[in-house]
This record gives sequence, C-alpha cells and structure tokens, in this order.
Amino acid sequence: MLELIPLVIVLSFLFETMDSCAGMGFGTGLTPLLFTIGYEPLQVVPILLISEAITGFTSGFFHQEFENVNFKFKRPINQESRVMLNIAIIGCLAILLSVFITYYSVKFDKTIIKTYVAILVLVMGLISMFKLKIKSKNYKPKLLTFFSALAGFNKGIGAGGYGPVVMLGQIFSGIYEKTATAIVSFSEGIVSLVGVSAFVLIPVIQNTSIEIDFLLLPSVFTGGFIAALISPYMVRVIPNKIWRILIPVYALGIGIFVLLKLYVL
Amino acid sequence: MENENFIDEAYKNEIGFYAKSIDTEMSIYERMKIKKSTVFRIFGALGIYALVMGFLTFIL
Repeated sequence: MLELIPLVIVLSFLFETMDSCAGMGFGTGLTPLLFTIGYEPLQVVPILLISEAITGFTSGFFHQEFENVNFKFKRPINQESRVMLNIAIIGCLAILLSVFITYYSVKFDKTIIKTYVAILVLVMGLISMFKLKIKSKNYKPKLLTFFSALAGFNKGIGAGGYGPVVMLGQIFSGIYEKTATAIVSFSEGIVSLVGVSAFVLIPVIQNTSIEIDFLLLPSVFTGGFIAALISPYMVRVIPNKIWRILIPVYALGIGIFVLLKLYVL
Repeated sequence: MENENFIDEAYKNEIGFYAKSIDTEMSIYERMKIKKSTVFRIFGALGIYALVMGFLTFIL
C-alpha cells in the first residue's frame, strides 16, 4: 500500500529545494534528520539515492531550460559540460571506493572523519564569506580538480559532505554561482544513479540479498520532485548577488548542524 | 568578420556565460517570464511524476 508521510514530504521538499538552489544539503542534512526521527539506514540511504538520481536529472534539465547553465554534449563539448562530467566521474569513482571499503570492512573512526568534513565545510564557508567582495574571478580548472578529488575522497571514506565541498570548490575556482548549482545538481544525478546501481548489483555479485524498505520512497520522491521543478526557476529569478551570500551561509549552517549532531544532539 | 565570430563563440563557451548575461541584461520581471515550451515541459515532467507514482502504487 502506497503511504505518503506529510512530515517526510515537507522535509524532502525543503532540503531538495536548498540542494537544487545552493548545490548541497539533501544527503548531508536530510539523512541524519531522518535517522533522528527513527528511520533505519536501509530505509533511508538507498531511498535518498534513488530520489536524488531522479531529482538530480530533473533539476539539471530544468536548470538548462531556465538557462542557468548551457550543457552541450555534441562534440566539441563545452566547458560547462566538461566540468560537470569531471565532477560526476570523480563522484562515481568515490561511490565505488566507498562500496569497496564497506565490502572489505576497512574501519575508520566515523566521528573523527565526520568532524574533519564538518570543519572543512565550515572553513570553506567562512573563506567564501570573506571573499564576497572580490568581484572578478577567473576560472581555475586545476583548483576545481583538487576540490572534486577532495570531495570524492571524503565521500569515498564515508565522511559525506560531497555536495558542499564540490559546490564551494567550484565557487573558489571562479565558476558563477548559478551555473555551479546547476552543474552540481546534474552531476549528483549521475553519481546517485551509480550509487543505486551499486546497491542493486553488489548483492547480486556477492550472491547475497539486501532488504531495502521502500516505505519512504513515495514521500521523499514527491517532496524532492516538486522541489526539483521549482528550484531552477528560483535560481533564475533571484539575483546572483543573493546566492553569493546565501550559499556560504547555508554551508556554515550545514557544518554547524553536523558538529551539533555529532557532539550535542 | 570571421575573426569576430570566433571571438564571440569563444566568449559564449566561457563558464556561466548565459546565466551571467541573463542576470545583467534582464530585470527580475523579465526573468520571471516562462516560455510556452518550458510550461509544456513542466507538464511533461508532472506526467512522468504521475507515472512513477502509479508504478510505485502498483509495486508497493
């Protein structure tokens, strides 16, 4: 029986709106919140991946439709598509690395690595705020590759925070905020699709079974999908100078939330 | 002329060119307008949403 849970719809809508507008927060913010409400990891993680795969592509498509970005996949592919593919490929490798680490049961101290990512996001958010007055920025591809690899490494070792690090990394590398948001949304769609495939294929390869609970899927998908339609329009209409302030402030909020969740809540 | 076109194309290839131009050249009111083709695509997306929900109702 299809069950819609209003609280989950509202939370998914809010976090996906911010994810599609500011390029971060759906995984980092919503996952611990759903755990706090009382849902189990197998009820949350695969469902968020499935939903993010669909909403990532939807949001990416409408970002293109509202001209926040101009992806061109016919040869020669343009810079924006190249950056998106670069981020997506590193993210896919990271997801596979995290599955490999889980498979071989390599143990990391979760508290330490999550604290490191929260502090990294906080520091990057603060630096972005200090850099608000600098207007002309040139695109620095090497810096972007460094941040994509750093975000991929964090995701690979299970520390999360992929969206915030890639998003702020793009801004540090001189990419226009509105376009950076669109690039992250589309690349997260590709990365999540690989994540979903890993969830489905790994048990098949290992000849084991994994029990995924689909209870939350209709609610998460409903909230996320509506947000993925509205957010690209909001990104188009609201001036970039607002996003320049809002994105680092939101990143600071996420960093503080992760630290509070680890040490206080 | 050919050279000018080349420069123009190179400029359009810059990251964020379209978003930047829309931001600087259009007012908020102009940015709020939605093309008819986009409205059709939004309805198309809602159709996909209905199909997915129908499928979920069927399998869950």
